[in-house]
Amino acid sequence: MTTPILEIKNLHVKVEDEDKQILKGVDLTLPAGEVHAIMGRNGSGKSTLSYVLAGKEGYEVTEGQVLFMGEDLLEMGADERAAAGLFLAFQYPIEIPGVATMTFLKAALNAQRKTRGEEELKIPDFMKLVKDAANQLEINQDMLKRPLNVGFSGGEKKRAEILQMALMQPSLCVLDETDSGLDIDALKVVSDGVNHLRDANRSMLVITHYQRLLNYIVPDRVHVFSDGRVVESGDRELALELEKKGYAEFDGTAA
Amino acid sequence: MEQHIVKLTDAENQLADLLQAAGAADAKAALTEHGLPHRRIEEYHYTDLRTLLRDVPAELAKANDDLPSEQFNGFSRVVIVNGKLVHADAIDGVEIKSVDVAKKVGDDQIINLMDGFAQSQIEISISKSLNKPIHIAQVHAGADSVAASKLKVTSADGVEATIIETFEGQNDRGLRFADCAMDVAANSNLLHLQLDQNATGARQFVQNCYDLHEKANLRTFVTHANFQLGRTDVKAEFKGEGAHADFAGLTLLMDKQHGDFTLNVNHAVPNTTSTESFKSIVRDRAKAIFQGKIIVAPDAQKTDAQMMSQGLLLSERAEVLVKPELEIFADDVLCAHGATCGELDADALFYLMSRGIPRAEAESMLIKAFLAELFDEIEDEQIHAKLENRVDAWLAATE
Ligand SMILES: Nc1ncnc2c1ncn2[C@@H]1O[C@H](COP(=O)(O)OP(=O)(O)OP(=O)(O)O)[C@@H](O)[C@H]1O
Ligand SMILES: [Mg+2]
Repeated sequence: MTTPILEIKNLHVKVEDEDKQILKGVDLTLPAGEVHAIMGRNGSGKSTLSYVLAGKEGYEVTEGQVLFMGEDLLEMGADERAAAGLFLAFQYPIEIPGVATMTFLKAALNAQRKTRGEEELKIPDFMKLVKDAANQLEINQDMLKRPLNVGFSGGEKKRAEILQMALMQPSLCVLDETDSGLDIDALKVVSDGVNHLRDANRSMLVITHYQRLLNYIVPDRVHVFSDGRVVESGDRELALELEKKGYAEFDGTAA
Repeated sequence: MEQHIVKLTDAENQLADLLQAAGAADAKAALTEHGLPHRRIEEYHYTDLRTLLRDVPAELAKANDDLPSEQFNGFSRVVIVNGKLVHADAIDGVEIKSVDVAKKVGDDQIINLMDGFAQSQIEISISKSLNKPIHIAQVHAGADSVAASKLKVTSADGVEATIIETFEGQNDRGLRFADCAMDVAANSNLLHLQLDQNATGARQFVQNCYDLHEKANLRTFVTHANFQLGRTDVKAEFKGEGAHADFAGLTLLMDKQHGDFTLNVNHAVPNTTSTESFKSIVRDRAKAIFQGKIIVAPDAQKTDAQMMSQGLLLSERAEVLVKPELEIFADDVLCAHGATCGELDADALFYLMSRGIPRAEAESMLIKAFLAELFDEIEDEQIHAKLENRVDAWLAATE
């Protein structure tokens, strides 16, 4: 059997300097080429899981392990994880005034290449790469002239995340509520963009509240997340069932 | 009765002796009576010179007319070494001469020292618009010595000019003073920049006085980065209606550096406007001070003054101290001051790093973003590039 892209084993995470335990034993294996969806109540810890995977500071892993293509992910810095092929599409992309979007994209792509020992992109090649990816996601070139995410609408921010993902060609894409804030047409465009990246060597973890997204990005498996753990896993049908019955059926809060 | 006898520190005694040697008996008497400014003197509250200036040089700098200094391609060039004019290009429409200093004594002992030590006043009168900037290399030659320069710039009606001063030298542990008075004539448009590039251990005190006449336009930009201790006192007086001035400053300090910008902007007549924008980045145990006072006289209606000070703290023990003051005696005015002070945004840093950008580079990007608009007003490419190189060098030195 080939090594899974991602293996999360009994992951416990608390907030640093606080007693607050958020993840309480997450187990999840994501084989190469598969798309898994995570659904769960507000506050159940989905974004926290995505941050811990991406290497955000301020959390403390108290138990468990995460392997990324067989390597200990938690030992790596956020930048190293990105260079190694992990990408997080943020639920709330950060606005960074004073940093031009294009400058940022070039810095990010070249930094990753440098870490991997590859040569820097030539400017014309970079420009073409961005232009093509932007066209595919129906992103206006003017948007790319603005500071990073500044003044972008909710939907524009989400598109910009997927643009970055398309440029970086990661092995693991974690999409945290990429569908929220998208209108119906945009949902289609963005989903097409994501599907375009589906590949036998690339896996995706798609966090969403809406089964509708899963009509576009059809998952191999669906995990129900509750109170910091995966409480149920199943195939695509599980999402439909969840929509019908609500979370209570699955996390033991049903009367 | 309260006793007013001050016990002078060794440094104060030393300075008094040096004033005597420089022929400034009145300044010496004032210093002996009051001592150096200390924290109970409001203007020096955050820059207590009795503690910060504990050891001072034992000698006055001797003029040395043969020191390499900063070069700008195509700029007119004036070189002042230890307060003496040693070189001036012939510039069409500009007269440059050196005259004796009329020494006077006031309440501020630092200004008294400045005047006391200055041996000549260099006067630059600009009667025609200049097609290239004048670069004044202000050189302080001699480690462990005291030097002072005095500059007076006057512009004729309607003249446009850029003056850039560089404070440089081999002046480790040195103490330097620089006084600049600018008379910005009606309808004239002046850009005045001061870049400090002293030796690491230098102490520097600068006073910039501006008189702004009718419809005059002035922009100033001062850096605080290369000294151990530095203070720039800006005193601006609006004397003619319709005048506008932008005062800007950049502070980049590390280790135990101490930099102080103290502004006093007096809108004395109606219909004048000003902006004050100062940004400070500090790390280690460095301290940046910004004191900005805006005065609007009783009949100075329609004054618009916008003051902003922003600080970025890169270390826990670094400090940015801000004291804005508005003294407004007119009613129909627009005046505001704002101050922000914070660390690098952790979420922004994580976002950049999550895209593969290493921490140091991500920090640099955010630091440059913090400085973003500060250089926008500086159109000259050479100066602009120099400022950006300064920032890069500073960032590289701290990585
Ligand atoms: N740094 C933190 N400090 C304190 N509490 C935190 C921190 N980060 C997350 N939490 C808490 O942990 C819980 C899980 O938050 P998280 O954002 O992971 O939820 P989520 O499942 O993504 O929710 P949503 O569906 O609303 O996006 C919440 O109660 C949240 O308030
Ligand atoms: Mg979330």
